[in-house]
Amino acid sequence: MFNESSSLGSDVADRRNKHVSFKASNKSHTNDFSNNYIHSGSLPQKHVTNIENSVQGYPKLQKLFELKDRQIAQYITTPFGCRVDIDQMVPTLNHWIQNEKLTFDVVMIGCLTDNQFIYPLLTQLALDRLVSKPGFLFIWASAHKVNELNRLMNNEGWAKKFRRSEELVFVPIDKNSPFYPGLDQDDHSLIEKMQWHCWMCITGTVRRSTDGHLIHCNVDTDLSIETQQTRDGAVPSHLYRVAENFSTSTRRLHIIPARTGIEKPVRLRPGWVIMSPDIILDNFAPKRYKSEIAKIGNCIPMNNQVESLRPKSPIQKV
Amino acid sequence: MVNFELIEFLIGNHQELTSVPLSGQLRDVFALFLIDQNTQLGAKYAKMHYQEFLKDLLEINELAPNSSHFRDESFVSVDDERVEFIDLCALKILYDVCKQDSRKFKRTLKGPRGQQRQSQQDLSVLDRLIAALSYDSSKVCPELPSRHRLLQRLEETLAQKPASVQLGKERAHMTVPQSEFIPICKSEKHAHILSTSVNTSNNRIISIQWSKISKFENENNEFNHCLQTHIHYVPNVNAHTERSLGDCSYLDTCHKLNTCRYVHYLQYIPEFLKEKIAEETKLVNKRINQQKRIPFYTLGNCCADISKSLLPPQWIRCDVRKFDFSCLGKFSAVIADPAWNIHMNLPYGTCNDIELLGLPMEQLQDEGILFLWVTGRAIDLGKESLEKWGYRVVNEISWIKTNQLGRTIVTGRTGHWLNHSKEHLLVGLKGNPQWLNKQIDSDVIVSTTRETSRKPDELYGMIERLVGRHARKLEIFGRDHNKRSGWVTIGNQVTGTCIRELEVKKRYDNFITS
Repeated sequence: MFNESSSLGSDVADRRNKHVSFKASNKSHTNDFSNNYIHSGSLPQKHVTNIENSVQGYPKLQKLFELKDRQIAQYITTPFGCRVDIDQMVPTLNHWIQNEKLTFDVVMIGCLTDNQFIYPLLTQLALDRLVSKPGFLFIWASAHKVNELNRLMNNEGWAKKFRRSEELVFVPIDKNSPFYPGLDQDDHSLIEKMQWHCWMCITGTVRRSTDGHLIHCNVDTDLSIETQQTRDGAVPSHLYRVAENFSTSTRRLHIIPARTGIEKPVRLRPGWVIMSPDIILDNFAPKRYKSEIAKIGNCIPMNNQVESLRPKSPIQKV
Repeated sequence: MVNFELIEFLIGNHQELTSVPLSGQLRDVFALFLIDQNTQLGAKYAKMHYQEFLKDLLEINELAPNSSHFRDESFVSVDDERVEFIDLCALKILYDVCKQDSRKFKRTLKGPRGQQRQSQQDLSVLDRLIAALSYDSSKVCPELPSRHRLLQRLEETLAQKPASVQLGKERAHMTVPQSEFIPICKSEKHAHILSTSVNTSNNRIISIQWSKISKFENENNEFNHCLQTHIHYVPNVNAHTERSLGDCSYLDTCHKLNTCRYVHYLQYIPEFLKEKIAEETKLVNKRINQQKRIPFYTLGNCCADISKSLLPPQWIRCDVRKFDFSCLGKFSAVIADPAWNIHMNLPYGTCNDIELLGLPMEQLQDEGILFLWVTGRAIDLGKESLEKWGYRVVNEISWIKTNQLGRTIVTGRTGHWLNHSKEHLLVGLKGNPQWLNKQIDSDVIVSTTRETSRKPDELYGMIERLVGRHARKLEIFGRDHNKRSGWVTIGNQVTGTCIRELEVKKRYDNFITS
């Protein structure tokens, strides 16, 4: 049916190509992408028009992203990998805390894969000693798992230390994506699951209006859609980008308590220490890391151009 | 009679078969052997059964004494079905003998293997499972080691949807009326060409400079075709517009269109394209309407699905907090879009939220689904409320908010720490309803923003597919634009009251007079 009509359409178009009337229709049109999915199988998110360049149309924001990218790239440590079996993660991290006196300002836990051992990690680890204050915690998991973590995070001890601040979502572009949460579909699921969730938590005190040297608010959004370039590993760069753009800190740690296998390698990221049983390089040395941090400083310094471009809270009248 | 391929297989894989994780489990060895055979062209043993496999294995062991050492050759328990050691030397000798004596080997193969086959009824569970796992070997890359092939097959099998889902999808495809669809052009180049060749005035497209367009058309000939098949957006340039500033954050919803210096856009669709799509969709829907009359799959539908006409919209203006929910009856699906009153600085639970938690929601459904819109800190409170009301959170839908140009909202300090490009809708399930058509839609809605807090209409279509068109559906905290056929809308912002179900009307009148 569709093929017939579309070929008919192009015939008509060819015939009157010379004097086809391109008169604009005066009726406006809106698409129903959910209805279209039922009939064509093309997922709604595929029709978002700024997937590849999210700030398309906003030159100021584009400039801001470029500047921040450049600045972040200036103040980075060597990409570090730390290959540790899942059951050795907590002892290793405890060793870092107690013996090496290491702390991080940005800690990301989990990636876009099922079978993550997040709960045991969160309950066994002295997370409040690993994350400095103020510090930022990002926990990525399937929507189902994030939901399960609710109980832990509502527990008073936890909620006092880490305030849940934003819920982030990552959406793969189609079902062939390596990030399609296929195993998350269970019999109870009423609607096909297409997303990964992340809790962003803040510990310590930061104020959006006055702590511009620590955080840049409202630069990124709480939604990432998979792009063409991000298919080559277990962690799409969006996940790192959001954290890097938000916090100006240079001390960043990513813990992946899951086996991701050889099809989805865990790659290194400049400026991050990545702990995973499947990281491709095992080069982390606390001493070297500390000396590098000492050289570049704990924070990316303020930059006037970035300051003038980034969204800020309106100045309160006294 | 000797299974030559099996000898070959044992020689090639003897180490992997006896070591972890297989540890010589014969059933796994058998599965691997079958997969191995399946990937080879013209394999003789592709449809072998486990008992035959065991027999062949024992035969080989007899010919090359002690070439395989089993835990217990009588195979009394499953745990005994284990080969602990494979003697490579003995197997190789047997292999060489067989190869040299290929004539004899061939002759033995003419034996009545087929007659030994067990009948279909005698198939063991394992054989049936293997058959269920059987797949098209051409799709699998033969270079992959066998454990990867097995994994791949396992993943394919797990990804397989139950027939109810497949049939439900098919039925939705065949019976849900299609809405007019025109794709949006994503090419920045096309947008640029149009921005230099379209003249606008008074917020309307006046003319298009064809000389420029045909020049571009000569360079890349898909442009013309794209114009005829896609929606394009052309900048609406006025005297006060400054292009270098970029796009307006509000675009078509901007209130200061006559003074705003940022760029706004006009939608451009050729009239003939709009007409063509309308006509095509009308034809398709005519066919769909006819298909509806063929009851090919009726699970989850009500019995008079076709002949029954849809109940017109019903609504009740009321203070939801004081309303007696019991006069409404029971519903299959409920939407609630409460005005959460959570202040960022408070832990949670201002007066309104406590009132909301106190709503007698348990009266509305014996079993069914509840959709709850939540934002920010209410995500948490929403999940708690659902559990308190007797629901399990089974899904979370994200509404990706887009603007006029189909782009996500990225500006405007819409959130406290990050900008908000999406909103959350919790899906709670009560009981275990058998009448749901599961997993037809995806949990991502992409739709443009409209008036403040107005939610996308796509949700109604999704719910109607999930619970059926004729199921009773309720929207709480609705407004006039939420009225819809098949739905009851209640809230203090709807105008007037209109009830068509007599029983509800009677109960409502009683409630009012009491």
